[in-house]
Parts: sequence; structure tokens; C-alpha cells
Amino acid sequence: MIHPVDYILSLVLLSVLFSFGSSRLPALIKVLAFQGVVVSIVPLFIGHDLTGWGILFAMVTMTIRGIIIPFCIYLAIKKVAIHREVEPIIGYHASLLAGLGLIVAATYVSHKFDITSISTSTLLLPASITLLVAGMFLLMARRNAIAMVLGYIMMENGIYLVGTTFSVRARHIVEFGILLDVLAGVMIMAVILQNIKQKFDDVDTALLRTLKE
Amino acid sequence: MVEIVFLVPLFTGIVAFFLPRNFGRPLLVITGALHLFLSILLWIQRPEPLFKAYFAVAPEGLLSLLVISLLFFLISIYTTGYLKASNIKSEHIFTGSMLLFLSTMTMVTLSDHIMIMWIAIEATTLASAPLIYTHRTAASLEATWKYVLICSVGIAMALLGSVLITISMDVGNVDVPVSFSALTACAKDLDSMWLKAGFVFILVGYGTKMGLAPMHTWLPDAHSEAPSPASALLSGVLLNCAYLGIFKTNKIMCAAGLGDFSGSILMAFGLTSIIAAATFILKQTEYKRLLAYSSIENMGIIAFGTGLGGIGAYGAMICLIHHSLIKSSLFLTSGNILLGYGSRMIEGTGKLVKLMPKTFLAFFGGFVGISGFPPFGIFIGELFIIIGVFRTGHYVLAGIFILSLCVIFAGFANQVMKISFNSTNATTRLKEKTGMIWPQYALLLTSMVLSLWIPDTLYRTIIHAVTSIGGGF
Repeated sequence: MIHPVDYILSLVLLSVLFSFGSSRLPALIKVLAFQGVVVSIVPLFIGHDLTGWGILFAMVTMTIRGIIIPFCIYLAIKKVAIHREVEPIIGYHASLLAGLGLIVAATYVSHKFDITSISTSTLLLPASITLLVAGMFLLMARRNAIAMVLGYIMMENGIYLVGTTFSVRARHIVEFGILLDVLAGVMIMAVILQNIKQKFDDVDTALLRTLKE
Repeated sequence: MVEIVFLVPLFTGIVAFFLPRNFGRPLLVITGALHLFLSILLWIQRPEPLFKAYFAVAPEGLLSLLVISLLFFLISIYTTGYLKASNIKSEHIFTGSMLLFLSTMTMVTLSDHIMIMWIAIEATTLASAPLIYTHRTAASLEATWKYVLICSVGIAMALLGSVLITISMDVGNVDVPVSFSALTACAKDLDSMWLKAGFVFILVGYGTKMGLAPMHTWLPDAHSEAPSPASALLSGVLLNCAYLGIFKTNKIMCAAGLGDFSGSILMAFGLTSIIAAATFILKQTEYKRLLAYSSIENMGIIAFGTGLGGIGAYGAMICLIHHSLIKSSLFLTSGNILLGYGSRMIEGTGKLVKLMPKTFLAFFGGFVGISGFPPFGIFIGELFIIIGVFRTGHYVLAGIFILSLCVIFAGFANQVMKISFNSTNATTRLKEKTGMIWPQYALLLTSMVLSLWIPDTLYRTIIHAVTSIGGGF
């Protein structure tokens, strides 16, 4: 029997593939916004979080992950009017292939762990691992600083997904604190991005190489 | 009501953002004094926290808190003079961020809940980012970008590690609050595989922030680009805060009987950092970067000693306290050198002994202390660690450890001699005012006194902290 949450998680996996294939920043931001929305409603479908506070918290998470964070990044690229390519180090087709390989590998690896006592969903662990590694891949395989920030957000989404397995214990106030930290971090990154653009007239990280041994 | 210690600087920090330009300086000193007073009160009275689920007063936290408080107070006095002598455009942002930084670091020392610890450490990154970008140059912008990105990604790993530890609770069917103290009490019941995985991720995550190699790449950039009072805070206390996260997790590991596993990983990372520092310190051309690499070395020594356990863990604690005191004094002194010569390069300096004799005394004293010579405390700490290595029979590790320390000393000494005695045409632009000299002397003197005589309550607190990770004599 397929766990209802697996339908939603398959959308997460799709969003990873879309993000690897998209060459333009606005498209990448939209994919990330979609992913944020999907990831934040996952706890509602795991079944143990259908209290009033649980639903309210899922709504708040959705607003921050799905709307506010992507909007911050979108404002940053709009203000500084950067050219919209993500400047890949690894090409799009190779990235897509790597993404497919990653999903297969994540599924294989997560079968090694036995967490059936916590959750019966088959896709939860593969999807989380995929998001984590995919975020790191974006950090390393794209030279555009904004794409790197988006990679960081994707990693955070993955960690949030791992965290949903234990959300019975975690008080919502603690999770809200984590979310605020992430939000503030992204905002600071957006401010730095604008300054980088003003100083260097580009957000290509190849320009940020003066300080090294 | 423990929480007031971090709520006071939080409040004054927010206020400082809205004050006119020069009002921040006295506010910094007043908050520093108030914070020191509250910390001492906390040390004597040991009150109960208001939110027991999230905060607790642990011995290692108390030690760090006292160091933070003392350092911040002395640094705030120095900062008043530094801000007068240097030209910083948006001073209210600088002072506000300094106070918020103090507040978040205090929160780290008092947090007991695993996730609150993470929230506080990530908040230190965010509060200190504006400090690094104070000078508004292209290089400082690059340093800030690297700092925020590398540390945020690194600390995200620690969040994953914290989540994995909660999974180990689920798998082991443990139903307690997710706090360090509760988990240490029932560590035996946690699932060991998930706990191990959690520890590794936490070590990599907080290790990034602590400056352990090979995740240290942000550290020299950030320390050299930040204004000197901020570098002193970054090196003197921020690194300790990250270490606290590792220390507390290691406590759980030791209670669960996995101390050997966590210890050997800590030792590996520690030794790598010492070797990395020894490699890079030899060819440094900037004195602030030199000091930054020395911080990486000392963090390596501390991680190594912690992993070693026994007498080594006690030595690591001693190193932790004295590194904070001496290194922050050195960074403050480097601020005098920078203001005096107007150059970051070692080439641009020289004849420090003639041009700024008081600064020279602080600089040279700090150098003697940080290289591990008596009468400063790092000597005792390193000696204990070396005795510990020999006791456990790791002779090869002891050899690498001692050799690296010698290389670092040689490299450091060479550059210090250049700064102090090289002939130069440069003239100094800085009058050596008392406010910019005495804080350094006070820090060095504290280290000297503490290495000769430790107050009984301090000694018992250190022993109390290290016995939980298998340390002690």
C-alpha cells in the first residue's frame, strides 16, 4: 500500500530534477518556491500533526519557505538586474543525469536504514537525502552566487524533511526559531549579494578569489 | 532568572541601532560592565532558569560565560579608543552588532536544548556578519560572503546531526526532553548507530565554526578583514562557543560508552588542524592572518586534548581559557599596529619596539604566551596534553604534535621579530593612549595569574566539567 505522503514526496523529487535542468534564475527560484510549499505540508500528511497548532505551524512554514524566502531572492535579482544565467560548472544534461543517479543512490542507501518504527513512508528518507545532496551539488556546480544561496535553501529543505519524522517531540516554538534563523540568514545573504553586485558588477563567484593562500 | 544575562545585551543591541553616531560607545562599556556583573552574580548564586526545558547552567557553560563577559568588558573599553582613532562610517551598526553578538554568544553558553543550541550558534553567525563587513572594502565583502555561506552550510550539517540524535531517541524508544542534560542521563538507551552519525555531523558542523581543518577556510579571511575588536571577539569567544556545542555532544557520547569513537575522531580533526596551521603559518605576509592561523592551531590543540580524555581533557580546558585571554589581547594589539602603520602587511611594519614601546610589550608578551612559554597558562595546558599522549602510548601522535608546535613557533617567531625589530622608514600615526593598552595588559595579567594560582571554585568547576568527558587526573 502506498502511503499518502509518498505522492507528495514524489513531487519533491521532481522539483530536484527541474532545478538541475533550469538554466535561468527566475525559473530556479520558482522551482524552489514550489519545493518549499510541498515540503512544509508534508507533516500534515504523516498523520501525527493534525492539531490546531500543528496546522497553524505548517501554514507559517509554508508562508516562509514557499513565499517569503523565494521572494527575498527574487527581489535581490530584480534590484541588481543581474544577467539571468546560472553559469554552470557542470552542464545541464550532465546535471540531470547526476540527479537521476542521485535519486537511485539515495533510494538504495535508505533501504540500509531501518526506520519503519518511526515512519512507514517509503520515500521520506530517499527524498530527504536527495534534497541534501542536491543542495550541495548546486552549491558546488554553479558559479552564480544566487544559485549557491538557492542550493543552501534546498539543503535546509532536506534537513526539515528529516526533521518531520520526529516532529511529535519537537516543540513548535523550537522549530519556529530554526525557521527564523534560516530566514534571517537568507536575508543577510541577499543583502551581501546586492553589495557584491555593486562592488564587482557581477555575482560570478570566480571574481571572489582574492583572499586565498 | 538566568535568561536576563542574554536579554540585557539583546535589548541594548537593538537600541544601539537607533542611537545617534557616538552614543554607542558608552553604551558598549555600560552593557559590558552590567554583563560582567550579572555573570559574576550567576557564578555565585547559581539561580534556576525560567525556561528549564531550554536553558540550564552547566559547568562548561559557566566557564565560557565568565570568559566571554570579562573579554567583552575589556574589549569594549578598547573599542572606545579604537573607534575614535579609526574612521568607521556606520558606527551604530557596528556597536549594535557587537551587542547582539554578545547576546547570542551568551545564549550559546546557557542553552541546554539541542535545537536552541543550534539556533543560538547560527544566530552568532548572523550577528557577526555585519562586523566583518565594517570597512566596506571589496576584500571584506568577499570575507563576509565566505563567512556567511561556509558557516551557514556547515552549521546546517550540525542541524542535521541534531535531528539524527532525536532519531536515535525514537529508535531507542527514549522519551525525555531533547536537552543535553536529559540525554546524557539516559545516553545508554539511545540507538548507537544514529547517535554516532549524529555526532559526526555535529562535529563537522560546529567544527566548521570552530575553525577545525579542513573546514577552516573562512577563518583567516574573516579574522583579518574584521576590525580588530571584532576579530578579538571572533577568535577569543566565538570559537569557544562552537567548541561548547561539540563538548556537550561529546558528553552524551561518553555517557553512552562511545567515548573512544568520538575521541579518536576529535583527535584526528585536531591533529589535522595543527598540521594545517603549521603548513600555512610559515608563509604568511599579513600579521592578522598569522594570528588567525595561530587560532586554528590552538583550536586543533583543544580538540586533540578533548579527544584524548584524562589529563589531556583538563589541559584542553586550560588551553581554552588561556587562548581566549591571550589571543584576544593579541588581536587588540594588532589593531594598534594597524592604526599606527596603516598597513596590514608584515613588510609595512618594523621597529615596533622603538615606535610603540607599550604596544610592543603587549604584542611580545602575547606572542610568548600563545607559543606556550611560562608563565602563561597555555604552557601548562600543552604540557598536560603531551603528558596525556605519552600516558596513553600514542608515541607517533606525540611526535607529530610536538614537531608541529615547534614549526609553528619558529614561523611565528620569525614574523614577530620582523615586526618588532626590522628597520623601516615608517612613522607611527597612533598615540598610545591608556585605554588602548591597558585592556591588553589586563588580559595578559589575568592569564599569568591564573596559571600560577587558580581560585578553588574555578578549579572545581573545571574538574566538574571535564570529568563528564572522562577527564581529570
